[in-house]
Amino acid sequence: MQASSLRLYLTCIRNTLEAAMCLQNFPCQEVERHNKPEVELKTSAELLLNPVLICRNEAERCLIETSINSLRLSLKVKQADELENILTKKFLRFLSIRAEAFQVLRRKPIQGYDISFLVTNYNCEEMQKQKLIDFIVQFMEDIDKEISDLKMSVNTRGRLVATEFLKQFL
Amino acid sequence: MILLQSHSRILIETLSNRVQNLDKAVELDYNWVEFGDIRYHVQVSAKNPNVLLLSVSLPVPPPETVFVGGLPYGAIEAIKSAYGSVVQILDPPRDGFNLTLKINLAKLPTDEERKQALLMKIASVREVVLGAPLSVVLKHLLSRTVAPGLDGLLALVHRPNESFFLFPQAERVTVVYPMRFSDSVDTTYAASFLQEFVETRRTAGLTSAPVCSWSPDPPPELKEASAEPLSANAGFVSFVIYPRHVEGGKLDRTVWNLSTFYAYVSYHVKCTEAFMHTRMRRRVEGMIQVIHSLILFMFILHLFLETLIDGKLNLVFLDLP
Repeated sequence: MQASSLRLYLTCIRNTLEAAMCLQNFPCQEVERHNKPEVELKTSAELLLNPVLICRNEAERCLIETSINSLRLSLKVKQADELENILTKKFLRFLSIRAEAFQVLRRKPIQGYDISFLVTNYNCEEMQKQKLIDFIVQFMEDIDKEISDLKMSVNTRGRLVATEFLKQFL
Repeated sequence: MILLQSHSRILIETLSNRVQNLDKAVELDYNWVEFGDIRYHVQVSAKNPNVLLLSVSLPVPPPETVFVGGLPYGAIEAIKSAYGSVVQILDPPRDGFNLTLKINLAKLPTDEERKQALLMKIASVREVVLGAPLSVVLKHLLSRTVAPGLDGLLALVHRPNESFFLFPQAERVTVVYPMRFSDSVDTTYAASFLQEFVETRRTAGLTSAPVCSWSPDPPPELKEASAEPLSANAGFVSFVIYPRHVEGGKLDRTVWNLSTFYAYVSYHVKCTEAFMHTRMRRRVEGMIQVIHSLILFMFILHLFLETLIDGKLNLVFLDLP
């Protein structure tokens, strides 16, 4: 049940990205010789498309906003308990700090979400659109897997520590 | 090293060093701190190479803990019975310390094994002194009685200004630890660790270990204690110790494990935090490698296609990293 709903969620996001990622170069209309990602500024309504919100359940959602030359994808990751909360926050903070190396990552997530991507037409030209979509979907899967691995390793360590301590009394 | 060791490594090395070089006259004056805010001071003077002065300073006791003459209840008797005539307690202790011992290295037993055992015991002086009240209570548990004057709730210090509680009865002793952490991340890790303690005890093979329970509110045994020492952001852990946990020579080990329970959990919480950080960093490095190889691959593909189309190589650098 878990696995199949994850597959459906990712497939839906992938299809939306394939439709939304039609980016072309568009110099700024307001300021001469400037070229800005229009989805960040949102100054001209004719350059923006309708944002799409894909919800897997109440806790997990994905917001995709597109414009003529850029696309913004924001993710909210599932955080069931306090431990998952801090692990997710730390891990995504590590990623966001290294946003420069990732090129398509945004340094600060959008308000209400855990992590955001910003893809511009230049990114699409440098890296093929398909490969970029593959990377983003793989990234989402990796984050989920890593958080659950970390949580399991904390529990395993706790069990080991407890066993060693209690064994002393036998 | 998963478990905390009862002897101080620095102390045992200093003592062994001195014992091996008794005839060489040296001047020693060492000061150091160990976990739980225990400070040590070792002094040897060249005039008296056989004598070693060891001073120990204990963590500041909170108001509900009773210190008799600057030392926990029963500490002096415990020192005398553990060390015999080799060690002499100096009164008053050195300025700034709770206890000063004068150790006569010439009076150590000549038998190598007994000498080593006694040196180890001297290096475990914190276990002897801080664990003295707990030791008295547990010795009475062996004989199924309660120590006179020690029935009812007892508070023992294990960290500066913090204590844990003992509730001695004839057939068992309940030990309650209020777990307090300053950092919210520590508190979360500790909460999951403490849950594991409760669950692990239920597994087969550990059913004869002390009964372990955790609750976010103070357990009923603590209803007599005042409110201030009862604030604990990671809940309260209770162990119930039965006579079988202290008979057969296990008394010292039980005293040590119970005295340093908080330090043990705190140590492992910190280790886990560091491990999580390292692991996350490694994962992120891996992800960065993936995207770099993707960019590099596309760059080379572009060059190749350009050569194919144009017939010559035209190196146009877009802003690549």
